[in-house]
Amino acid sequence: MQYMIKADEFNDLHDKLTQELRRGVLVLAALSQLREPKYGYALIDDLSQHGLDIEQGTLYPLLRRLEEQGLLESEWNVEGSRPRRYYVLSAAGRELLQLLQTDWEQLVQVMQVLLVDLEGESHGTH
Amino acid sequence: MELIDRYVAEVGRHLPARKRADIEAELRSSLIDNLEARSQGEPSQQDVVELLQEFGSPQKIAASYWPEGQYLIGPGLYPLFRMVVGIALLVVVILQLVLLGVALVFRPESLPIWGFLDDFVPTIVSVFGWVVLAFALMQRLGVHPQIEEERWDPRDLPPAQDPEPFSRVGTGIEIALGLVVIVLLSVLPQQLPQVLPSWIQIYISPVLLQYLPLLVFSVVLGVGLNVILLVRGKWETGTRLAKIALNLFGIAILALLIDGHTTWLVEHNAAGFFTSIRRLEQAGQINTQATEIVAMQVYRMVFIVALLGTLVDTLRIGWWLVKHLFGSSGEPSYPSSGATSAG
Repeated sequence: MQYMIKADEFNDLHDKLTQELRRGVLVLAALSQLREPKYGYALIDDLSQHGLDIEQGTLYPLLRRLEEQGLLESEWNVEGSRPRRYYVLSAAGRELLQLLQTDWEQLVQVMQVLLVDLEGESHGTH
Repeated sequence: MELIDRYVAEVGRHLPARKRADIEAELRSSLIDNLEARSQGEPSQQDVVELLQEFGSPQKIAASYWPEGQYLIGPGLYPLFRMVVGIALLVVVILQLVLLGVALVFRPESLPIWGFLDDFVPTIVSVFGWVVLAFALMQRLGVHPQIEEERWDPRDLPPAQDPEPFSRVGTGIEIALGLVVIVLLSVLPQQLPQVLPSWIQIYISPVLLQYLPLLVFSVVLGVGLNVILLVRGKWETGTRLAKIALNLFGIAILALLIDGHTTWLVEHNAAGFFTSIRRLEQAGQINTQATEIVAMQVYRMVFIVALLGTLVDTLRIGWWLVKHLFGSSGEPSYPSSGATSAG
């Protein structure tokens, strides 16, 4: 059986899969930058400067969920021009970050091996 | 800034009350951070519109604060809900039809059809509504039966081609019929004579009345077994044994009923069935004793047929059980599944 796929559907699919990949690493990325307290927008800015653009609407609920799971702690800081909510890793969060980092490195190694076959191979077009 | 306030308020409307104020404050502060970063000096209205559109619709943002989703009846409860609704509606429909039938036969002058139609839809809607309400309450209170995540064993799965496939629909119908029988058996004998006009005599066997509690009890057990079957989703050795036991119980009750009717008929010096019918014809309408004798003979025949049916069913299940427990698992047959298409 062979399914035909149109060019725009192909692009949509590419976008969707890229998003899924990003979503998968989003927790790890956020945790990695919260060893020191940061407020939401600063974290987004931080990630963006490192080359990881994320949808803003996704990050705030995520931070809240991580806090409810006990991986982050937060408090309001009223010192700046307006009150901001600062998030930082909890003890459990720090521990989990280390574990996830190891998992991630293993995953990267595996994926590099899996993807090495593709290198140099010319990409076919549709 | 007014647009930001409106946006934040709209998000807030879709948030759980206890988190609302906190999330709103954080959202407002983040949006303003964002706005300051992207526009030098005083942000224009256009900047705000672009920012908010980029952020996403208020409903979407609010929804992302409910990671488990918002459900009236969630995916964990839904299969059970479907099952219960199906059975409940079936019971209601069958009961309504039975009552309509009774009314049509015994009170044709009152045109029950209109009353029936008047009643039918609202009853169904209200039964559906009550079930939804009960399940919504369970959902709210967090009564979620686990979706089959617990330990399971592939060896418990039924064979791909079950010689006796389990039918959810059939079992659901059986449960519904069982419930109807329970209602009819426990309500009608007392109610029916009052409901019917005086010129109609429905004759209820005194022997049947004597064994009624036992009969209702066995039907209740049958419904219970069917509910278990529906939950398990397949026949197992245990349920088959239970079914056999239940059938034997039923056979015993039927035997008592038949014996009781036989005794009654002997006591009333009844002749054979067709002779009794002839006597009825000769006697005319006045002779109630002759009518009673025919009625009792009909009851007795019905019970005999039921007993034979149950016996055959029991033997069939018993045979399957013996084959399944002691026989070979059967030779493999090819192809085991439908033809697989290539290309």
